[in-house]
Amino acid sequence: MSKWIIQGLRTGVKSTRYPRRPEEAAGVTPGLPAAESRWPSPSGAEGAALSCPVGALETSGTRLTADPRRCIHCLRCASGPNPVPWEGGYEWARRTGPADSPLFDRGFDHSLHIRVVDAGACDACLSEIKQLNKPYYNMHRLGLFLTPTPRHADVLLVAGPMTQAMRMPLLKAYEAMPTPRRVMAVGTCALTGCLFGPSFASAGGVGSVLPVDVEVPGCPPPPLAILHGLLLLSSRVKKSDEARETLGEAAP
Amino acid sequence: MSPAAGFFLLFVLLAGSGALLSALLPDRRVPTGLAWTASLASGVLLLASGAALESGTGFAFPLLRLPVLGTLGFGIDRLSALFLLVTALVFLPASMYSAGYLARYDGRYSLRLYGVLYHLLLLATALTLAGTDLVTFLLDWRLMSVFCMLLVGFENRKQENVRAGYLLLAMTEAGVLAATLGVLFIGGFGASGLDFAALRAAAPHLSQAAAWTVFLLTFFGFSVKAGLLPGSSWLPKAHPVAPAPVSAVLSGCVLNLGIYGIVRVNLDLLPVRYVGEGLVVLIVGSLTALIGILYATIDPDMKRMLAHSSIENMGLVTVGLGAGMVFLASHLPVLAAMGFVVGFYHMANHSLYKSLLFLGAGGVDLRTGTRDMNRMGGLLRVMPYTGLFFLAGALSIAALPPFNGFVSEWLTLQTLLQSAQFGATGVKVVFALCAAALALTAALAVTCFVKAFGMSFLGMARSRPAEQAKELPRSMLWPMGLLAALCLALGLAPTYVIPALDTIVAPLAHGSITEELVPPFFTVGPSGDARYGAGFMKDFHAIGAQVGRGLLPGRGLVVLHPGGEKNPVVFAMSTAYTAVVLVLLLAGLALAVRWATQGRTVRRGLVWDGGVRHLFPDMTYSATGFSNPVRVVFQAIFRPTTQEDTRESVHGHYRTALTRSQREPFVMDRLFLLPLTRLVRGAARLIARPHHSGRVNLYTATVLVTLLVVLIVNWVRP
Repeated sequence: MSKWIIQGLRTGVKSTRYPRRPEEAAGVTPGLPAAESRWPSPSGAEGAALSCPVGALETSGTRLTADPRRCIHCLRCASGPNPVPWEGGYEWARRTGPADSPLFDRGFDHSLHIRVVDAGACDACLSEIKQLNKPYYNMHRLGLFLTPTPRHADVLLVAGPMTQAMRMPLLKAYEAMPTPRRVMAVGTCALTGCLFGPSFASAGGVGSVLPVDVEVPGCPPPPLAILHGLLLLSSRVKKSDEARETLGEAAP
Repeated sequence: MSPAAGFFLLFVLLAGSGALLSALLPDRRVPTGLAWTASLASGVLLLASGAALESGTGFAFPLLRLPVLGTLGFGIDRLSALFLLVTALVFLPASMYSAGYLARYDGRYSLRLYGVLYHLLLLATALTLAGTDLVTFLLDWRLMSVFCMLLVGFENRKQENVRAGYLLLAMTEAGVLAATLGVLFIGGFGASGLDFAALRAAAPHLSQAAAWTVFLLTFFGFSVKAGLLPGSSWLPKAHPVAPAPVSAVLSGCVLNLGIYGIVRVNLDLLPVRYVGEGLVVLIVGSLTALIGILYATIDPDMKRMLAHSSIENMGLVTVGLGAGMVFLASHLPVLAAMGFVVGFYHMANHSLYKSLLFLGAGGVDLRTGTRDMNRMGGLLRVMPYTGLFFLAGALSIAALPPFNGFVSEWLTLQTLLQSAQFGATGVKVVFALCAAALALTAALAVTCFVKAFGMSFLGMARSRPAEQAKELPRSMLWPMGLLAALCLALGLAPTYVIPALDTIVAPLAHGSITEELVPPFFTVGPSGDARYGAGFMKDFHAIGAQVGRGLLPGRGLVVLHPGGEKNPVVFAMSTAYTAVVLVLLLAGLALAVRWATQGRTVRRGLVWDGGVRHLFPDMTYSATGFSNPVRVVFQAIFRPTTQEDTRESVHGHYRTALTRSQREPFVMDRLFLLPLTRLVRGAARLIARPHHSGRVNLYTATVLVTLLVVLIVNWVRP
């Protein structure tokens, strides 16, 4: 046993220092297209928009805007002769609803207990959520805990498009949560339904069923983005960091 | 004639005429008739025993005087009056309850027969207790055993019931045969007859070996009837299959007869002399309690669970008596009296709550048609009063204050802890181990009755009959209510019960416990008396021990055992004050919650069920599931046997069904009954093989030779 202690001491702390220090390791984020970019000509912008399979890029004249809520990181717009500018970062979470909503009131600024519900996800988002529980991201150090029952949960973390099959269980879980409670949608599918859209099997985003308080875009969102969302929810992200909320302000 | 004697004669007449009346009435009138006559008879028996206890003298009817056997007859002394009182207290509600319960047998079984047997059982039980000599005692005991057997096998179209009846008869008869031998052994030491007085006079002449022989024969003999280890195999088979009132009576009164036999012989006729004897009783008692509650906890059959729990409670009674015997043999009369008082207290408590629970289980059985708790659930909604009374019984048996089980179990443990007062280390170790076993038993009892009440009365109905059950009629609820009230009363008023029991126990233990357990807070002023000084009284006055003084009769409401200078209070408690505080606390809590949530909207949601589309009753916790941790932890004792049945399709290639069942055979069947039967069978085969040829000539020759031998022997001896 002593071997493990020594080995542990020798290894030291390997967890990420986020949010105290930005995480700079390679590969922690797939990146997103720049929120806004200027093109020499409208046809160029339209051509770039057409390369997007999920309609995340929209044009108005020579201006091309990217909607992170739909992007699936396929990188088709980033390749080719005229690539759309692409940027890193992971602080993508943002609150929905009016900015002065009493979302960040007392009771949510400390430890959070989280109940995860898979509303029909492909397991990619869940895989990323699982990473939060592992040593590298280690959400426990921030007082964030997964709980198996909604009775103890403050936050309902929903991943995946709102499929008909999971509609009732999700509502039951939400009903079982004590108030005040928050809903956080994770992943493009949970935000908009994306590829699965509103269809015979899916109601689109989770927002069509439950009032979503925080959205985390990404397909799947990297663990740090989810962590950012949880910190945002518990008012532990500094105001200056919230500037990133409107993505791509610093774009060319 | 004393009032007790008059009432007793009246009881005999009433019970006899009740039997006669049941034989004459048409079948469908029997239940009502029986309810009236039997409850009237037991009411009169209650008066008889009450009068005997109150006056303290009792009576005796010498009927016959025979040359060798001595005086034969009936009589009641304090000891038998206590047992008769308990018998009457159980028979009274059980008889009232019969009226509603017996309707289920109408047209299928002869209710007339039932009525006759039931009255005769009541009569035989009472006469057994009232026998003042070995002959009447044994004669009535035999009759009582036969009536028990016939009532257990009353549903005689079920083979299980008839076999259980025979098992009961065979085992208890074997036991009482051994006990008879033991008592006759005393008679062999120059007793003038077989009446108890003569035996009592002869007892001091017994040598050590003889005293031990008598003790072992009578203790293990009567312990079969009391359901103690090792001869308790019959109990979980016989008690569940009897009709509910009979189950109640069997557990509530007939088991007590075993205790009565042990007490009568080993405390009255030949009081224990050696610490070893008491230790045997103590160890058997604690093992019985532990084994009994273990099997009760895992059993999903409601009535069989209660039967196993009867084994446990008889074990607890025996622990009290055994501790008393050890103290008696060590010449500590006060502690001996404490042990006996506790034993009798627990016996009375067990009779009350166990008959209550059996009546409740019978009611549930009547309405749902099953005794399997896995198929019940949610009964509180459809049978609220039955559930309420069953809950009272469950709280009592789980030893929760302020019900009666708490008082006696707590005092039993306290008595065991008093072993610190004397020297021998070995004895102390045995006491400590027994106390530990008892503590485990008490904890398991809570588990067991949480299961019993929770799985059958709470949750979702797990079968259609359980969903559609109806409340019992009033004639069946009243007796249960009466028993529940008695349970509560015996729990609230230990300070009135202990002095009453003390008068019974004092001549057996040669010591009085009233002064030691019930301080006179109500009769002595703040200045105190010789035993309890002014400082003591003042301290206890300050914490409210004298609340109610002048309003209530008696000595006080606090049970307290005083010690010496250094440690003035060894143990103390008061269920009455606890109950008041509990009620105040609960009411205060309810008010506080109400006040705190005032003006808030309360959101009521569904139970969190894991988000399933529909919560089926099969998904909820079952009795088997609830008790499974116990089953796993104590696997070494249970030794479960599993049976797997696979059904295969015609071609034998595909399994179409797989059933797996697990059974836990009773440990005493495995360790005692089966080896014994195998041994006896083997021995019989060995003896029988040489001459059981089937030839009549050989048998005739054997008879002839035997006769010749006897004649020669008698001719040779002058």
